Amino acid sequence: MPDVLAPATDVPTATPSGPTTAPPPRPRRRRPRPTRLLTYAFVVVGAVVMLFPFLWTVITSITPGGSLAGGPTLFVRNPTLEAYRVLLDTLPMWRIALNSFWVAVASTGLQLVTGAMAAYGFARLEFRGKNVVFGLYLATLMVPLQVLVVPLFIEMKTLGLQDTYAGLLAPSIASAFGVFLLKQAIESVPRELDEAATIDGASHLRIFLQIVVPLIRPALATVAVFAFMASWNSFLWPLVIIRSPEFMTLPLGLATLQGQFTTAWDVVMAGSVFSIVPIAVVYLLAQRHIIAGVAHTGIK
Amino acid sequence: MRNTARRSAAPAILAITLALSACAQGSATRTEEPAESGGPVTVRYMNFSANGGHEEDLDAIKAAFESANPDVTVQIETTPYDDYFTKLQTAVAGGTAGDAFELNYENFVTYSSNGSLAPLKNVETASYKPSLLEAFSADGTQYGLPESFSNVVLFYNKDLFAKAGVDEPTADWTWADEQAAAEKLTDEKAGVWGDYQPISFFEYYKAVAQAGGEFLNADKTQAAFDSDAGRAAAEWLVGKSGTTMPTEADGAGTPDFDSTLFKDGKLAMWHTGIWMFSGMADAPFEWDIVVEPGDAEKASAMFTNGVVVNAASKNQEAAERWIAFLTSSDEMVDKRLETSWELPPVADEAKLASYLDAGAPANRQAVFASLDATVLPPVIERQQEMQDAVGKELSAAAAGRITVDEAVSNAAKAVDALLK
Amino acid sequence: MSVTTAPRTDPAPPRPARAGGARGSRWHNRGWVLLFLAPSAVPLLMFTIVPMLGSVWVSMHSWNLISPMRWAGLENYRSLLTDPTTRTVFTNTLIYCVGYLPLVYAGGLGLALVLNQRLRGRSLFRAAFFLPVVTSWVVVALVWKWLLNPTNGLVNTVLGAVGLPQPGWWTDPTWALPAVILSSAWKDLGFVMVIMLAGLQAIPADVLEAAWADGANAWQRFWRVTLPLLSPSTFFVVVISLINGFQVFDQVYVMTGGGPSGSSQVVVGQIYDLTFRYGRAGEASALSWLLFAVILAITAVQIRGQRRWVHHA
Repeated sequence: MPDVLAPATDVPTATPSGPTTAPPPRPRRRRPRPTRLLTYAFVVVGAVVMLFPFLWTVITSITPGGSLAGGPTLFVRNPTLEAYRVLLDTLPMWRIALNSFWVAVASTGLQLVTGAMAAYGFARLEFRGKNVVFGLYLATLMVPLQVLVVPLFIEMKTLGLQDTYAGLLAPSIASAFGVFLLKQAIESVPRELDEAATIDGASHLRIFLQIVVPLIRPALATVAVFAFMASWNSFLWPLVIIRSPEFMTLPLGLATLQGQFTTAWDVVMAGSVFSIVPIAVVYLLAQRHIIAGVAHTGIK
Repeated sequence: MRNTARRSAAPAILAITLALSACAQGSATRTEEPAESGGPVTVRYMNFSANGGHEEDLDAIKAAFESANPDVTVQIETTPYDDYFTKLQTAVAGGTAGDAFELNYENFVTYSSNGSLAPLKNVETASYKPSLLEAFSADGTQYGLPESFSNVVLFYNKDLFAKAGVDEPTADWTWADEQAAAEKLTDEKAGVWGDYQPISFFEYYKAVAQAGGEFLNADKTQAAFDSDAGRAAAEWLVGKSGTTMPTEADGAGTPDFDSTLFKDGKLAMWHTGIWMFSGMADAPFEWDIVVEPGDAEKASAMFTNGVVVNAASKNQEAAERWIAFLTSSDEMVDKRLETSWELPPVADEAKLASYLDAGAPANRQAVFASLDATVLPPVIERQQEMQDAVGKELSAAAAGRITVDEAVSNAAKAVDALLK
Repeated sequence: MSVTTAPRTDPAPPRPARAGGARGSRWHNRGWVLLFLAPSAVPLLMFTIVPMLGSVWVSMHSWNLISPMRWAGLENYRSLLTDPTTRTVFTNTLIYCVGYLPLVYAGGLGLALVLNQRLRGRSLFRAAFFLPVVTSWVVVALVWKWLLNPTNGLVNTVLGAVGLPQPGWWTDPTWALPAVILSSAWKDLGFVMVIMLAGLQAIPADVLEAAWADGANAWQRFWRVTLPLLSPSTFFVVVISLINGFQVFDQVYVMTGGGPSGSSQVVVGQIYDLTFRYGRAGEASALSWLLFAVILAITAVQIRGQRRWVHHA
């Protein structure tokens, strides 16, 4: 299972001598053993360190009466899935998760489409004031949501969109973050390719769909991961725009587990695991595309 | 580039107009749904206190109300406390707050002094504890009804007291008694602390009263705690830290730190609210409560939540009927007592009798005994800023960055500035 | 902009629009521009720019969200500029960015390079390094507070063992911010890693091959080929990290709450407090526009400067 995702489609990287993208493996396959072991050691230790908070989350969730005070313990005396049962009893978890899922899928899809198109526009079309318009796009990232939330809420209320899926989704139809990332990716695609296509009579739409989009798949996958994650974890906007329980998303549901005075941390952590695992899966799925890059499409 | 910048001004102006009209509409029009004639009226009720275990209890009260008032339907929207005020304020700003909503006493003044609350018309004053009812009035007008209250007592671990051979606390203990016991009970090797009392605004205002001082002057125009009593109170809280009480570095202040410590049998005395009763019910040791020790005077902290009617509501009459039921009906009293959901604000203490033998702790009488000398938090319009400013200075003193005297005088100056 | 510029869909091939080329068929080109930009421009305009302008309006009022707004003109800006807290929060935010960016960039790039090699279980390692990015700040903050505990935390234990001073970290006004920086950089390593990994895929193999054939060693290939070819990704990471870094909030909120004694309060933390806790939404909006001005200036400088170092195909 581990190595299925490291096929020959990858950028050739073999010599592990130092942190660098290395030349093709063809000429020599000799591997300086110690360096390689060192790399593994580094990666394994690093991974354990990075996994630690997640492990702690899992451990707390299976510890009876689990508590966060007093630091983590790695040994659980009587592990139990009780917290998960309580979680499923307290909240309609599947419904909530499904809500979050569809909102995340919709906003990811919309951001990919709107973002890739805008990125193409900025990278490949010439028009007056392009820099100013792109600056305006970036400017939308520069005002914190905390201060936009009230005017945005009033606007939504005026539009009659409060407490609807549309209202929930509206602010994440497009994101300048995605536009920017994809623009950088498209600018790395050699212009000769679309110029050749233009001479063959292809329109911008065709160049975009048939040449550019396949070439920026790693960037698209990256944007997809972040867009999904942003929607999946977003809290402040759903909090104010949603009031009917049937629209409730995961972060809102999990917040209700935190009491004013006391909190059952094992249940909260079970909820945390419940919300982390799907994104981890999304990342694992997306990463096939993140690494299926240039070699795959035959660019030389 | 400059050229295009000017050109793009047109859409910007259009957008400003849009935004302005949005804002104007937001503050002008309020709740949109008109009162329906004929069919049942829907009253939206926003609250936080049902979150975390009392959702069904509130539903039961709602059901009882609806069967007694067939012309009204109540729609409950529960939000966790931490997020409630963010949501409520945004909703008020957008004109979409519920017809009735819950406020804690500390926030009541901010809302009542801004014209967002409807004056109540038919209040059965006799049903409520007078002091609580008065807490939700302003300038002689009743703007809200008390919904529940709770107070702070001293929890103690009987096993630890027995093991250390220290006499258990009594109702007439003073700070000195508590201090002496705490020193004997603290056992660094076993990881046992003698005492825990958060270093916060809420403990401080009470300690000032216990020391015989005032937090604000009579007409609430100036801080009054920059006094001997105020300094003694600060010294009392700060002095424990690191000696008989865990410090921030030991974990104090992190979520559930104190409750876990007490439940693990590593804390002998704990100043906290009666809302912790149910959480400690299954503690593996004997514990009880007692009225908090005083100093020059006895004074127990009291917290109370109230419910109000939105001034912008189209269904004020129905909303008022709902909040009256929610705060004074026998169904509510029974439900709250049965589920240990704080205490009902009723005047008739006989109704509370069942509370006394509802299980651990044994000395539930202390809960009522501490009502003889309660002190509500001082409340000003810029409440949260005051709480933060006082808390900040006290914790600086606890960490030893400034002296207690400096902390008190800095905090008093900050509060004075907020009262200007 | 009028309706006549709606996208034309006839298949007539547009002239190859080379940069700086002739401005042929301008109308046609406008159609394409509209077609490609409108799907993002319209929602951004409606759901971000309009509220932004709304907040300009709010910034010129005194408003606690619950009473009607009172006109204040530029008073909010004036009082912010004289308030010492403003200076503190901006300084803290700047320190945060200066500390955070190099750590997260160097760490993320290193990870990407290592995990771009052929390693057994590579995809699982990548997922492991990505996991902190998606783990909630509440948990991460608790872990870090435990690691950085001044008396018995792992970090101070190690520092003590090798004879280094043991700072008070989040309990000490001087060290609270560095504690936040460390944990943020750690949490965001995976974010940078993912972007740099995507960037690495765009480097054509033959370029590296040619460098190798020219006898460049690994170090030279990294500095002269990989790094320049990664510059679009680097540019993105730097711009975005600074835009986000100046708006740092969650980690400060859960780790230090801005304390001790306000020593680690940042701009957005102050904005949040002002809006939702202190009922001073007008000042919060004004503060966010001061922040906007700073971020805009820094971003503009970077965009200006990119021509000098960002390599495009």
